[in-house]
Amino acid sequence: MRDKIKTITVREYKATVRTKTFLISMILVPVMMFAGIIIMKLFEDNVDTTDKNITIIDRSGIVAERLVAIAEERNKSEVFEKKDNGELKKVKPNYLFHIVQPDDENPDKQRYELSEKVRKKQIFSFVEIGKNVLHPQPAEDGSDFSSVIRYYAEGAALDDIRRWLGNPLNNELRQLRMKEAGIDPAQVTELMRWVSVNGMGLYSIDLATGEYIEARESSEGEAILAPMAMMMIMFILSILGAQPLLNSTMEEKSQKISEVILGSCSTFDFMMGKILGGVGASLSAALVYVGGGVIALRYMGRSDLIPLELIPWFFAYATLLITMMGAIMAALGSTCSTAKEAQSLAFPGMLPMVVPMMIWFMIVREPLSNFSVIASLIPPLTPMLMLLRQSTPYHIPAWQPWTGLIGVILFTLFSVWASARIFRIGILSSGKAPKLGTIIKWIFRND
Amino acid sequence: MENTIEIRNVTKRFGDFTAVNDLTLNVPKGSIYGFIGPNGSGKTTTLRMLMNIIFQDSGEINIFGEKYRQSFKDRIGYLPEERGLYKSMKVGELLHFFGKLKNGKNIRSESVRWLKKLGLEDWKDEKIETLSKGMGQKVQFIASVVTNPELVILDEPFSGLDPVNRDAMKDAVLELKESGKTVIFSTHDMDIAEKMCDYVFMIYKGKKVLDGTLDSIKDIYGTDIIRVITGGGMQVLKEVQNEVKGIENINDYGHIQEVRIEKNCDPQDVLKSLVAKTQVMKFEISKPSLHDIFVRIAKPVADHVGEVQNAG
Repeated sequence: MRDKIKTITVREYKATVRTKTFLISMILVPVMMFAGIIIMKLFEDNVDTTDKNITIIDRSGIVAERLVAIAEERNKSEVFEKKDNGELKKVKPNYLFHIVQPDDENPDKQRYELSEKVRKKQIFSFVEIGKNVLHPQPAEDGSDFSSVIRYYAEGAALDDIRRWLGNPLNNELRQLRMKEAGIDPAQVTELMRWVSVNGMGLYSIDLATGEYIEARESSEGEAILAPMAMMMIMFILSILGAQPLLNSTMEEKSQKISEVILGSCSTFDFMMGKILGGVGASLSAALVYVGGGVIALRYMGRSDLIPLELIPWFFAYATLLITMMGAIMAALGSTCSTAKEAQSLAFPGMLPMVVPMMIWFMIVREPLSNFSVIASLIPPLTPMLMLLRQSTPYHIPAWQPWTGLIGVILFTLFSVWASARIFRIGILSSGKAPKLGTIIKWIFRND
Repeated sequence: MENTIEIRNVTKRFGDFTAVNDLTLNVPKGSIYGFIGPNGSGKTTTLRMLMNIIFQDSGEINIFGEKYRQSFKDRIGYLPEERGLYKSMKVGELLHFFGKLKNGKNIRSESVRWLKKLGLEDWKDEKIETLSKGMGQKVQFIASVVTNPELVILDEPFSGLDPVNRDAMKDAVLELKESGKTVIFSTHDMDIAEKMCDYVFMIYKGKKVLDGTLDSIKDIYGTDIIRVITGGGMQVLKEVQNEVKGIENINDYGHIQEVRIEKNCDPQDVLKSLVAKTQVMKFEISKPSLHDIFVRIAKPVADHVGEVQNAG
């Protein structure tokens, strides 16, 4: 490396990693990113155990009493859990159903009055069972109220009671229909027994011993969490190493430090030194994250989850992404003279990182789809999306990561070249920030 | 005489604006060359072109007898007009950084020597943000000379300094000259330029209007200044101006007045008229100061503007 680039790289690296912002971000950003998952895990047993009073309007007149009985059985068997010391702990709320007579003359009035009771917290919710639920048919008045079960509550869409009601009500209705048809329900249960399908990985072979290695059961962690973690780390690394170049370049320009530096080296050396300093800072953080992850998984006895074959790809893509992003950020920073201008350019500059965050779930769900293949071969998106695809349990054809890598290398070289062209003019310009068209002209201007 | 810098017909434009127009200039080795000119006249642009920070549109610049090479930056010390230092770095650390950036030798010992010389030895381990403006300026100066460069380019090195720091900076610049360096500095302080520079170059609206030794420049303007101290002051001088033909301008400094006369005006006529009207305590015929010449060019009343007064 040329001495001047090295000198600037070392300064930039030290300036980045010595800041409190870097140290705090390195710890806080991943914590915040994964906080949702951690909190969900921590509080998954922390449910509202307040008893729920639910009113039933049974217009069919055939299932309400049975539903009350099933709810009582549930309350006896599921609400309390025996702890190790023998004490009973309430882990779920009681579902307390109360039957009311349907008001057939003015059903809307009855629905409104019960809704008011829900609003006043006198009851939690109410269920309306249609007249024809046993044999659903179009209603005479054109509505389908008579053939459905309606659940009314303040948060009906996400309500556990609504989800619970489906099974007992339908089971009861099926039993009644079977009775009418003269079929023995016990026999039908046996006939209709459900066999689950277990998601497995694939068999492989131990090349040393020739023994088959049994497939492992697929887990949500492998399918979603591992790819997501990979992508998040890439995102965090860019935030730590590349994004600060926008502000630091703007500051060097506005505080006239850039002119002093340019009195000693070329604009290219200056820019490359800054970018490599950012890459160094990011890779230092990457070592901490990856190393920490490996140690944590080993400690948890899940060494099998460590994607060793992906680690070289991860570092290659991370280095290229941060170089590319760093070049873009430095170039944009060189066009700004104020923090406000830099702020307004931060979002467009971050697009290669933001777009993958918006479409990652589609890619993880179908990593072999045409959309996933094409999106992951668009160079600015490749580092995050290709790695995302590679970290799913699917087998990605070998040509795709290699093609992606070549594309990213070429695009990174282009980014550095174009950014250097912008940087050499931007860093010495003064006055208002240039428009996009002017910046593009700078790239292709001959002088 | 060997030249450290040779500028040949250099022009630099920014859009429609011509910042430097067909400039030709030679800077002899080992000299102190003063660049003067009003704000926005093209001084900083010229200095930036010498540093290869910006590039001329046409013409040629030779440094150390050769066309510009990137490696020349290591042999040139540069103090830009607007100071720029990393505020969070310590003084010693910053000097080491700038020294390394120019591939300097003995940076640490040179830093200590210069810090001592400029009275900053106790600030070596302090952060830049704790320094006063004057101290920051001296640190920036040290950063430009810490690698012992052959050519030192200083853009407004004396601006914003108090008299004590100004003297310290002046001594430092003179030390550079004594050690054989070529020094170029731009300044608005005509007194400094007059006392320190071997050569003075003035640029106005992008064009060279003066270039040469101070004496040769003054010779062009002749002996046309009379400095007088009289009992009657400005009021009497105005009466004299009405009586004696050829008094071009009177500059009132309160206690002293400067009278500029035309070539055909005899100073003895001025003296006779003054003696007849008031007591004369001082009557001195002299050449114009650099300040006078600057003002005559930059605040034109006659036909001096745009004329190249090449006295070199």
